[in-house]
Amino acid sequence: MSRLLTQIYLFEEIFAALQEAFPDAEFVVEDKPVDDTFLKLAPEKVRPVAELLIEKFDIYHLSTITGDDAGDGVRLLYHFWSSYGLTLDTLLPYDNLRIPTLTDLIPGAAFYEREIQEMLGVTFEGLATPGPMFLPDDWDGSFPLRRQRLQKSQ
Amino acid sequence: MSKITVPIGPQHPLLKEPLAFSLTLEGEHVIESAMRLGYVHRGIERLSQERTYVQNVHLFERVCGICSHIHTTTYCQGVEALLGLEVPPRGLYLRALLCELERIHSHLLWLGVQARNIGFDTIFMYAWRDREIVLDIMEDLSGGRVSHAVNIIGGVRIDLTTEHRDVILRQLDTLEPQIETLLDVVENERSFQARTRNIGVLSLEQIRRYCVVGPVARASGLDMDLRRDAPTPPYDRLKFRVPVRYEGDAWARTMVRMLETVESVHLCRQILTTLPDGPTSVRAKRRVPPGEVVSRAEAPRGEVIYYIRSDGSDKPARVKVRTPTLTNLITLPDQLQNISMADVSVVLSGVDLCIACADR
Repeated sequence: MSRLLTQIYLFEEIFAALQEAFPDAEFVVEDKPVDDTFLKLAPEKVRPVAELLIEKFDIYHLSTITGDDAGDGVRLLYHFWSSYGLTLDTLLPYDNLRIPTLTDLIPGAAFYEREIQEMLGVTFEGLATPGPMFLPDDWDGSFPLRRQRLQKSQ
Repeated sequence: MSKITVPIGPQHPLLKEPLAFSLTLEGEHVIESAMRLGYVHRGIERLSQERTYVQNVHLFERVCGICSHIHTTTYCQGVEALLGLEVPPRGLYLRALLCELERIHSHLLWLGVQARNIGFDTIFMYAWRDREIVLDIMEDLSGGRVSHAVNIIGGVRIDLTTEHRDVILRQLDTLEPQIETLLDVVENERSFQARTRNIGVLSLEQIRRYCVVGPVARASGLDMDLRRDAPTPPYDRLKFRVPVRYEGDAWARTMVRMLETVESVHLCRQILTTLPDGPTSVRAKRRVPPGEVVSRAEAPRGEVIYYIRSDGSDKPARVKVRTPTLTNLITLPDQLQNISMADVSVVLSGVDLCIACADR
């Protein structure tokens, strides 16, 4: 039987559970158009929060991960979905572009993480990378979506 | 038994798109597989940062050569949300009409490819003959058979007269019994079943862990369709069923797609008969206020998601595109495990690969 939509939790319930589980963490909630809620959190909280979403609320569906060089660091957006969008929003500083992988919890994240690793140079700790994903075999090793590269070509 | 490695692709014998596989065989059976993407990577996300919002509509139409309309729909929907634009109902209905026609066209195209791969050339020819009807409808509507350039930010650029509507309704009346025949063949023909039953089975657990979307997920019992679960207008006002099957094999995927095609014909009829009057588009500003948006839609292959961030200029600061094929490709190593070499083609085309989509 289908299990994805048997129970839908309201965002308020999820948020309350998160605050209970991580009392010392700072979460900033922002509503976005087209039914999506952004939850700003520190990089080290992404993995525990994803674990909690899976275990407690059965939210497995990670639509994708967006990597965005925002100027003050590389932003990672984990777009989850359970009849509405729930996005975990975190910012990695340039001098520490590292974050633990989610592929052992959600194997479907592998392609998204590999793409970001290749395009933006974020290291996902524990991610298996068997060679390049989209870039050619003889690519010069730079990161195509990084800001410096964009400015240079403009 | 000694092992042999068989390369398939990148110049692909199964699909007219480049993707490389390296299969390790032990006798007739696949024991290991590796995949290499990127042969048609065009850097569309990067290109979009150098173009204006209006120019990008045409760029994103070219992400995919089959489901081109759904990409511009998702993109325009996002930009319109950032602009706070209200698209007139007639525009939304015409958009949805094209989406459904595209779904029929995509599924019939796929059925032809799948039938060809299993050696059933009769279905291949019938499916592609019937697909011509849909392509004719779309060409009459927009001027293009697969690239329609129908969407603009703020609505659609086409309109429909009452006479034209009646012509389309008659064409749909011709199409529907032909699709029913194809459905009947898929459901009951023994030689079709012999090649597709219990091939490439994915369990619901695997589907969920790999975040699979679209007909592949619905063929394994995951009841998820964004048209129903996160409806954007006019889907909240239309009635349709979401076909779900539980076998999880290549046959179930064919059934789900064919049942969906029938549903889409019904949806086209509903849209045409309830088409509201009024304008089809509104004027949009060139500069988009700062903000970010996540826009989702159900493409023929499953969930498409666009993330758009605006910095207040006339060019987007970042657009992220995730196409359904990229998600579904990740299941291939699991599906190929321990199957016979002869079934590889059935499994590969069973997920409805669109490599241009996946590579962007």
